[in-house]
Amino acid sequence: MRGGTTTTWRLVSLSPLPLWALVGLGILILLGVVLAVVGLSREPSSWRRRVLLLLRLLAGAMALFFLLEPGLRQLAQVRVKNRLAVLIDRTASMGFPTRPEGPSRASAAAEALQRFAPGLEGLKDSFTVEVLGFSPELGPVPAESLATPGSGNRTDLMAALRALKATDTGGTRKLAGAILLSDGADNGELQGGLTPKLTEELKALGFPVSTVRVGEPALVDLAVENVKVDDFAFVRNAVSVELELHGRGLKGRDVPVVLQREGVTVGTRTVHLDSEDDRKPVSFTFTPDQTGRFVYTVGAPVFPGEAVTENNSRSFVLKVIRDRVRVLLVVGRPTWDERFLRGLLKQDPNVDLVSFYILRTTADDTQTRNPERELSLIPFPMEEIFDTKLHTFDVVVFQNFGYAEPSLNIASYERNLEAYVQGGGALVYIGGDHAFGEARAMYPVLDRALPVDPTGSPSLQEPFRLKLTADGLRHPVTRVQTSEPATQSSWDELPPASGVNLVRPKAGATVLLEHPTARVDGRPAPVLALWEYGRGRALALMTDDSWTWAFTARKAGGQSRHYDRFWGNALRWLVRDPDLTSLQVLADPPTVEPGRPPGAVVTARQPDYQPAASAEVRVDLFSLADRKVLQSRSAVAGNDGVARVSFDPVPVGAYKLRATARLGGKELGEADDAVAVRSTGPELADASVRTELLAEVARVTGGRAYQLPLGSLPDVPLLDPPMVEVGRSKDAPLWDRWGWLVALAVLLGTEWLLRRRFGYV
Amino acid sequence: MLSPGVVSHPFSRRTLLRSLPFLTLGARALGFGDGARFVPAVAQHGGRWDGRMSGMRRLAWEIQRRTSVEVVAEARPLSLTNPRLFDHPFLYFSGDGEYPPLSAAEVESLRRYLVFGGFLLADANDGSSGRGFDASFRRDLARVLPGAALDPMPAAHVVFKSFYLLDSAPGRLFLHPQLRAVNLGTRSAVIYSQNDLAGAWERDESGAYAFEVSPGGEPQRELAVRVGINVSMYALCLDYKDDAVHLPLILKKRR
Repeated sequence: MRGGTTTTWRLVSLSPLPLWALVGLGILILLGVVLAVVGLSREPSSWRRRVLLLLRLLAGAMALFFLLEPGLRQLAQVRVKNRLAVLIDRTASMGFPTRPEGPSRASAAAEALQRFAPGLEGLKDSFTVEVLGFSPELGPVPAESLATPGSGNRTDLMAALRALKATDTGGTRKLAGAILLSDGADNGELQGGLTPKLTEELKALGFPVSTVRVGEPALVDLAVENVKVDDFAFVRNAVSVELELHGRGLKGRDVPVVLQREGVTVGTRTVHLDSEDDRKPVSFTFTPDQTGRFVYTVGAPVFPGEAVTENNSRSFVLKVIRDRVRVLLVVGRPTWDERFLRGLLKQDPNVDLVSFYILRTTADDTQTRNPERELSLIPFPMEEIFDTKLHTFDVVVFQNFGYAEPSLNIASYERNLEAYVQGGGALVYIGGDHAFGEARAMYPVLDRALPVDPTGSPSLQEPFRLKLTADGLRHPVTRVQTSEPATQSSWDELPPASGVNLVRPKAGATVLLEHPTARVDGRPAPVLALWEYGRGRALALMTDDSWTWAFTARKAGGQSRHYDRFWGNALRWLVRDPDLTSLQVLADPPTVEPGRPPGAVVTARQPDYQPAASAEVRVDLFSLADRKVLQSRSAVAGNDGVARVSFDPVPVGAYKLRATARLGGKELGEADDAVAVRSTGPELADASVRTELLAEVARVTGGRAYQLPLGSLPDVPLLDPPMVEVGRSKDAPLWDRWGWLVALAVLLGTEWLLRRRFGYV
Repeated sequence: MLSPGVVSHPFSRRTLLRSLPFLTLGARALGFGDGARFVPAVAQHGGRWDGRMSGMRRLAWEIQRRTSVEVVAEARPLSLTNPRLFDHPFLYFSGDGEYPPLSAAEVESLRRYLVFGGFLLADANDGSSGRGFDASFRRDLARVLPGAALDPMPAAHVVFKSFYLLDSAPGRLFLHPQLRAVNLGTRSAVIYSQNDLAGAWERDESGAYAFEVSPGGEPQRELAVRVGINVSMYALCLDYKDDAVHLPLILKKRR
């Protein structure tokens, strides 16, 4: 029987004598008995000997009784209520269905708990029943939220039991047992099963853990698990993605695994599953060709009857950065313009320069008998640089290049170059007597990518002062000083340019430098123009005199770094240095846990690259799967030009953020970023139910293993609650009755009388 | 002829005059002014600085003839304090015998010239070593670039493969097997020949070579021209021929 206060009696010694005195007196009594035995050894009559010995023994016992002063002690005791813990798995895997098309495991657990309720109620006389959740931290869980799957991204049964044990502080906190409702999908310490050490630790818990398996073992499921990839990669450098394909019930199947970047297939692997429960490593190696943040998705097809389909694909965000800006410099002929640009690019540790100069044309006479052995020249590898390797460059610079002779004419690669810019590359076209239609070669296709059109007129070869346009004063390429007046002054101080190719700017081009007097179509002749072409950028400089900014301008000894800053700015703008874009959007964070709200931080700048305070910012969140805008948010930028928006949680998948901004009715630009909604841990990768693990835990701890469905609370083993003494005790002496004294006197008297009669006294 | 809608400056007398010297160099298109072309400047100093003017013009002519480089086939004498020195990143500094020390202003200007990217080809027309021009030049170089060493150039230096594949650097003379250089960072800002390089290129008024070349005769003269072209190419292209793309082919050619 459990519960209630009870009274118990206990026989105790009430003697005030110390223990040594009691022992001494006891020895004396024993000696008295021994002397009697010795004294009676010659008695011929056995019955006399027995009677006398019996009387002496009884007298000794009676003397001992008086010596110990026995009494009864009354004790009041109560049976303490122990705790019964019901542990509910609140991790994300409980969101998986119990079976295909079935309710979630969390729902099944909640329903089971309702069925257990009467049984648990019945135990409340003896036990305090606590319902706790773990995800993996242990804590109370409201009954109304039980049916909703938790968001815990890690199942660690051992940690939960350890935390439960820590609450067992004895007394009323002592645990009588635990009932664990879980799918057993442990990805913590028990992921690999029970080890001897963990077994010992489970045994040491000191209470039985009965397990209730939630969910049915899936017959068929395919899961992409353990995706391993770095958070960032370098553009044009190989990246490896490693993962495991876990297939159950798909023995003998060939499964195609596809890696996609925002809908574009990057690689495909076919995996053969050899057993009913097979894990196969899969790896992809690819080379990103663009910088930015992209969502990559590894996916496998969904087979009929799969328990869970969400784990057939996994998305991750990869930030692709550049290690160094890779520049291809193609030079029509050696000039001082080329010399100083090369010097600048070669000394920049952030630039990886690959150059090709035309040092000799077929018209040149090298005065050699054996050119192969006497000259260091190599053939112009047009196919290699303008076809196979073109995509490996961030920026292609043509410097006064425009040969018509077949061995140097790049006309057959025009389309490649135009497509390169269209696809995100950057092109710089520097003028001179071989450029912009002055050459014998024309490149009409490549010209499409340029921000200017050749006029067909000969170049002007009169010295002139460069004129910075209003756009040039603010544009990051030409803003060589921190303030506009200083920038203007810096350009004004440059030596005169000696000539300019006559071109006309295209619609959409931005002219940063112009001729002060020469005009084309009624407008000042542009000297520096740029624009965005497709996904790429192009810059045209219609003079070959920029080297004088580095050298001639320093004849007076100034320390101006005008030349370095101009070309540094140009390169940064061409490769879309984030610091030089007018609008930036960053997913915050780039990977969102399921159920959490995606967010974005937008930084808006004005055309002069000052913070666009009060800009109206709009951010669209759209799915990469169906290219539909799912949610839109608007915000107003603060004084720092920054606005933050947050979206409602969206399902697991890959998404794109597109930001636009307006200030004073003018568009400030558009920017993209990527966000992946997925569990960062392995929780949602594996939908398996670990029946064996749950059974082992129950067996080792002394509990029992059950499986849902259960109609009611099973008869789980529980430790009996201990009895605890409460209140004060009460002693009742037994020895101080007169009858005991009479009995002792009678015994001693009888022995004396018999001894006299038998002749011993 | 101008295309419709284009208005530009008329073709001026000045433009016409400027283009005249190039008419002898064939029908090549021309860059924008002198700045686009290779024009050797010749440094004036207190000694005999102008003994190789026709040699420098000849070098320019040979560069025009043999390479894709556009030149102005003349040599521009300039004092070291002339601001126009900074229009010409290639400077020829030579002399025959000792010359007076450069002034402080000249030293300062030459230092700025070299540090900001200019290139100096020094040439001992007297083939001296430890005396004459050599002594004067080393004295002034130590003032222009204090602490900079005038080191022998190794055979692997890019100047020996910047256009021609060369093994030595003779001039009119061949007394000193090696060129010397002062490096500023990775760039050789000064290259110094003690073999009278330009003496091998020098022509007299009749157009004939002005000096005999010894000890190698005419083949040595051709080598001297090639050295001059390689040095000029180095000034224009720096270490272009050291780029990884060239190395395998050049090594193969040198085998």
